[in-house]
Amino acid sequence: MVRAYTQEHVYHHPWDRVTSAAFRKFTDPSASTSLSHVLDVHTLSRSLNPSTGRLRTVRSITVHSPSLPFLLRRALGGRDSLTINCVETTVVDPVGRSMEVSVSNVGLRGLIEVEERSFYGPHPDDPGRRTAFRQETRIRCKPLSAIAAIAGKVESRCAERFLQNSQKGREVVERICGYLEAESTRSKSAIS
Amino acid sequence: MTRKSAGKKSYTSPCADVRDAYHDCFNRWYSEKFSKGQWDKEGCVSEWEKYRACLFQNLEDKNLRRYLEDETSSHTDTNTANKSVDGEDTTK
Repeated sequence: MVRAYTQEHVYHHPWDRVTSAAFRKFTDPSASTSLSHVLDVHTLSRSLNPSTGRLRTVRSITVHSPSLPFLLRRALGGRDSLTINCVETTVVDPVGRSMEVSVSNVGLRGLIEVEERSFYGPHPDDPGRRTAFRQETRIRCKPLSAIAAIAGKVESRCAERFLQNSQKGREVVERICGYLEAESTRSKSAIS
Repeated sequence: MTRKSAGKKSYTSPCADVRDAYHDCFNRWYSEKFSKGQWDKEGCVSEWEKYRACLFQNLEDKNLRRYLEDETSSHTDTNTANKSVDGEDTTK
């Protein structure tokens, strides 16, 4: 069984600011409490295409799983939650002003597969001041015979948690946009 | 009850310092230059080199290491690739 859902959001900030905030989402000190399931973030590779300007970044994001149902906990040797490595690939096109972020888990794929794709682009109604965000998430629990009975439960719990976290993620991006805006107004007034 | 910041620290890798220096630099470069259309020059090159060297030494997870090494192979023009590219001679 697969759970899939799409979320959309409009940021009342220009594309360059929103994508800056999106990059900072996991590393900003203000995010450490609201995104507390994120344990560690590393950049693994980056490349800038000199002729097109496309920037590609790969990061690892290590997260805590939601607490596991009892039976699964026993099967995994008494651990009540797991540490999962995810890989996030971001491609930014500064000319066409698009940012595409895809995240999937690399650990525990025998158990669960999570794929998330997000897209940030200037909002067609007000491209200079608003940014459209769209996110598609797919979660699939592998029907391992031993855990088939509880797989559905894990899946729904993960889905719930994912929805909560992407909501929190958007709040963090909004907050970072706020302070980036304040910063840019300050530096502008300092220049004039 | 959720004063778990100490627990969180235990996951911090030996590369945390160079990582933070790189991310700070990158975030600034991205918002001040790249996203504003100045993409002709890649920013934070020395920070990135230091950080990457540290990851190469310390990153143990095989799944993640693959991504580090991927980049090297796509950037090598030299013959350091130890991969089984058998048809090498047919290219010449």
